[in-house]
Amino acid sequence: MTIDFADLPTNLREGLHRAALDSPQRGIAIFDGRGRSCERRSYAELYRLACESGRRFAALGVGRDEPVLVALPTSWEWMEAWFGLLMRGAWPVASSAAGAMAAAEAQFEKVDKVMAAIGARHVVASEAFLAQASEQGRAFAVGGVITCERLHAAAPAAEAAGRGVSDGGDVAFLQLTSGSTGVPRAVMITHEGAIHNPVASDEAVGAPYGEPMRRLTECMVSWLPLYHDMGLIGCLMLPLLCGLDTWMLRPETFLARPRLWLEHLGSHGGSFAPAPNFGYQLCVERIPADKREGLDLGAWRAALTGAEMVRPETTAAFSAAFEPHGFRPEVFRPCYGLAEGTLAVTFDVKGSGVRTLPAPRGTDAGFAMTEVVSIGVPIRDTRIRIAAPDDSDLPEGEIGEVHIKGPGVFRGYYGDPEATAATLRDGWFATGDLGFLQGGELYLTGRTKDLLIVHGHNIMPDEIERVADSVTGGGGLLRSAAFSVARGAAGEQAVVVVEIADSDPERLAEIGREIRIRIGRAMGLPLADLAFVRRGRIPRTTSGKMQRGELRQRYLDGTLERLHDREPEGRTPAKEPSR
Amino acid sequence: MSIRETALAVIAKVSKVDAAAIRPEMDLVADLGFDSAKALELLVELEEALGIEVSDEQAAGLNSVGDILAVVDRLQPPLRPPRG
Repeated sequence: MTIDFADLPTNLREGLHRAALDSPQRGIAIFDGRGRSCERRSYAELYRLACESGRRFAALGVGRDEPVLVALPTSWEWMEAWFGLLMRGAWPVASSAAGAMAAAEAQFEKVDKVMAAIGARHVVASEAFLAQASEQGRAFAVGGVITCERLHAAAPAAEAAGRGVSDGGDVAFLQLTSGSTGVPRAVMITHEGAIHNPVASDEAVGAPYGEPMRRLTECMVSWLPLYHDMGLIGCLMLPLLCGLDTWMLRPETFLARPRLWLEHLGSHGGSFAPAPNFGYQLCVERIPADKREGLDLGAWRAALTGAEMVRPETTAAFSAAFEPHGFRPEVFRPCYGLAEGTLAVTFDVKGSGVRTLPAPRGTDAGFAMTEVVSIGVPIRDTRIRIAAPDDSDLPEGEIGEVHIKGPGVFRGYYGDPEATAATLRDGWFATGDLGFLQGGELYLTGRTKDLLIVHGHNIMPDEIERVADSVTGGGGLLRSAAFSVARGAAGEQAVVVVEIADSDPERLAEIGREIRIRIGRAMGLPLADLAFVRRGRIPRTTSGKMQRGELRQRYLDGTLERLHDREPEGRTPAKEPSR
Repeated sequence: MSIRETALAVIAKVSKVDAAAIRPEMDLVADLGFDSAKALELLVELEEALGIEVSDEQAAGLNSVGDILAVVDRLQPPLRPPRG
């Protein structure tokens, strides 16, 4: 049984309607914060809920093609808001602000900045969120917050979206991703991309069995955040469009109690579940042998791993730990995707587990990999080329920048034509990832862009540097620079190098501590290392542009001249990066 | 063990820092190297060791060892099921 790609829904509203008609019994179960009890509703109920909510948003004056933030945790309120906005024809923008991941102040700061950057008038959030935002005197708190209570109190308008029918090429929603100006960038995702991408993923995951995954699978169990493309597309749009049941845990519930994910996978016969590498690593580290008893992972057919570098040492450790509990190592399915591609670009279609090649010369030393992992072949209608620095095509086996083209490729960064023009040409998106093709399969070896990917989340170095500069008063002659290095299975970790005039060790320790605190508060990010250097030690081009790649290389080589900087007592000293 | 000592033992276990070296002014991120996953792990361990529940609102304000001890200090001793 194949999928008829000529008969896909033309837009997501139709997609939801079809789910309600074709899979009325299937649906979504969302767990509460403790991860024990859940509320389940069918796709038919979701459709009715979304239609009604869309009419309420219309009554509240939310317009078509208007971006509206959704700052709620994974919950039915989130579904009501996101799909309601979709039915209205507005653009929902899922925001991380609701997750209890960083300090409240930093979250409101971020919401403020995002709303200003994309010109959003409204954010859908809880009463508690509104109360706190008002207390802090945030501008958006005055009339800009639509609480769930306010939404429910609105008398629905006669129609949600009016007469206009969205074309596949129209923007459906915005996906936030890290931006170099300290403000997230809003990636414009089309209806076509949001439909084609998950359905093509379903086809790719089912490839080894000769059938789309939907024919083989009862349900998906996910803890991925809905403000992340892997959560939104992979764990919500895919099951919705393919008619699968989904069980959703909040990401913070998983981080607190990783065993719950595997427990629910077992008890609901979950056969389909994705996670970034660090999620599998967390299970290995936080579920000791005696706590693995009683888990039954025998139904798991596709353990997708993507959104950050797939590390063979992690998948091997996970397999060793959970094979006695029914897990089969061959169900690991490496994949590659990014927000600008809607989600998926490549998938492993062999279904024989993680396959590697020895890391070739030119593999980024900072990723500490002795092997590189096959992340599969492009999904349907999607093409990859490996580009040399002069933009010519490179043959198989040679390392260059990965460029992608296909229905999932985004429309551009909303309100940022410069950033769009810099990366998107003739439908080809320059991903900033480095890799090579071998036997048609993609292997990643590094990155051209200055980007950190920590626990599956993209972080531009500028965000970290701004915070560091705010402590030292730097940013002018004295600069700071952030990059990541990987240490084995722990994956990428952040390192900051700070130029400073001071040299008193006590003073440096104080400044270092303050930088760590502020970065921790603002981004929930611990630093693996913080190095003080003299002015000018961060390499720059003749035009003054920072060369973070060169700096990182010197750091890895041990040729960076560090000032004597004492780590605060009690903290385990950071180990030298392995190479 | 007092409630406070239990809490310090849990912090030591999760952070892998010697309990004797842990001081109230230590910041979870800056001094103990916590990320959000570690912070949530600590909360769960504290809840289980002390038989308490920490609300999301309380959890959001916990930045230092001292903040945690302050929450713990306000606690009544955990309720024990009646004997017999």
